[in-house]
Amino acid sequence: MSYAHITLPRLLLSLGLIAVAIALSRRSRLGLEGDLLWGAVRGAAQLIAIGYVLLLLFNHEHPAWVLLLLAVMLVVAGATAARRVEHGPPRKVLFPRAIAAIGAGTLVAVLPVFAAVVPLHPWYEARYLVPISGMMLSNAMNVVAQVFERIFASARSEADQVEALLALGATPRQALERQVRATLRAALLPTINGLLTVGLVALPGMMTGQIVSGTPPEQAVRYQIVILYQLVAVAAVAGMIAVAFARRLLFTARAQLVLPPN
Amino acid sequence: MTSTLEARELVVVREGRRILDRASILVRSGEAVAIQGPSGSGKSTFARALATLLEPDGGAVLLGGRDARQIVPTQFRTRVAFLAQQPAMFEGSVVQNLKTGPALHGESLSDAQASDLIRAVGLDEPILQREARILSGGEKQRVALARALANAPEVLLLDEPTAALDPEAGERIVALLRELRLRGLSIVMVTHEDAHARALGGTLYRCERGRLAIDS
Repeated sequence: MSYAHITLPRLLLSLGLIAVAIALSRRSRLGLEGDLLWGAVRGAAQLIAIGYVLLLLFNHEHPAWVLLLLAVMLVVAGATAARRVEHGPPRKVLFPRAIAAIGAGTLVAVLPVFAAVVPLHPWYEARYLVPISGMMLSNAMNVVAQVFERIFASARSEADQVEALLALGATPRQALERQVRATLRAALLPTINGLLTVGLVALPGMMTGQIVSGTPPEQAVRYQIVILYQLVAVAAVAGMIAVAFARRLLFTARAQLVLPPN
Repeated sequence: MTSTLEARELVVVREGRRILDRASILVRSGEAVAIQGPSGSGKSTFARALATLLEPDGGAVLLGGRDARQIVPTQFRTRVAFLAQQPAMFEGSVVQNLKTGPALHGESLSDAQASDLIRAVGLDEPILQREARILSGGEKQRVALARALANAPEVLLLDEPTAALDPEAGERIVALLRELRLRGLSIVMVTHEDAHARALGGTLYRCERGRLAIDS
């Protein structure tokens, strides 16, 4: 496989793109210069670090190391999804639930594919398992974060509606149905939009990467189709599980609405 | 025949403060009870606890002599209807609002039944097709009443049903409640207005600092 090497000086040259954004931010007084610089440095550092981790992993491929890396990714995804949920319960309450929702969604999307569509040899083959699981974890993280953010906010702003339904004899599931539907639709929409516009607006990252590194486009496309379908499954499952957790947090066993303190 | 609704020594504590302090009440079948008290006296908390929408820290609510905790919440709330001070209208028309309660229990309300209900609360049939959320305060209160009646409850529990209304509309609501009582419903009305509490024409309780006492 042949591809154009990016030397270190050339990599540094790409920092110029960040400089453009910083210049625009300064000119428009957005006050984002610090964030942009920090984001650029941090993003690069994280990617370089994971590059070395992957290199190490490929050279010493062992199930324990692969699983450890996946576990770390899951924990970071869970912590990110559970943070800064306005109107929601404290982070320590949401964190284990975010882990469960993200983990379960990822398992549902990943296991059948690696079992039947892209068989791995051995089963812990890091070259496939890590990047594809990472994409799933990331999508699940975004969906779960959005579900938590929206469902607690809408339960609060529409508490009178929810209680009016409870007072008419609704179960918690019935009382929160409207808010759940709106939340899940909003959380799944980016993934569905991704399905609708893929290839027309943007070529997805993984496919682009494969093509750049020499994979025949028709194979890269097939991989991408599988990934897209996995992303849909992960979003649906993680979203539903997050909603189920939120519902249990919002109601007592006696079907009373309990809003987390502000 | 409707069941007796009883609150037995209800205690509600919030942030270290006793909102309800062993508040008790007995509502016999077909009886009207008014609970009058200044704002902040705990009467709205009492109404919500009596409706089982709020879990008390002590005491119990009993329906027909049975502890509410042993009754499935959906069943209890179908038998004991609760109306908030400014009842939320659901999206859609008035008739869709009226059909909500029965639909939650897998039942349906016919258009003829909806017409009967809307007339029973003193509104005219054309209102059935109007968007519920844009009605006036008094109309919303009546629609909420009709919506609660669609579940055929035994007890009506109302939290300040006249507070957001002009005096005339408020008096009409109280007159309507008296009428419903004559049809066999038990009524519990929480209000800060002394005149409305007396006009209901039943037992009058005073609520002060979370305690209830019969006004003699």
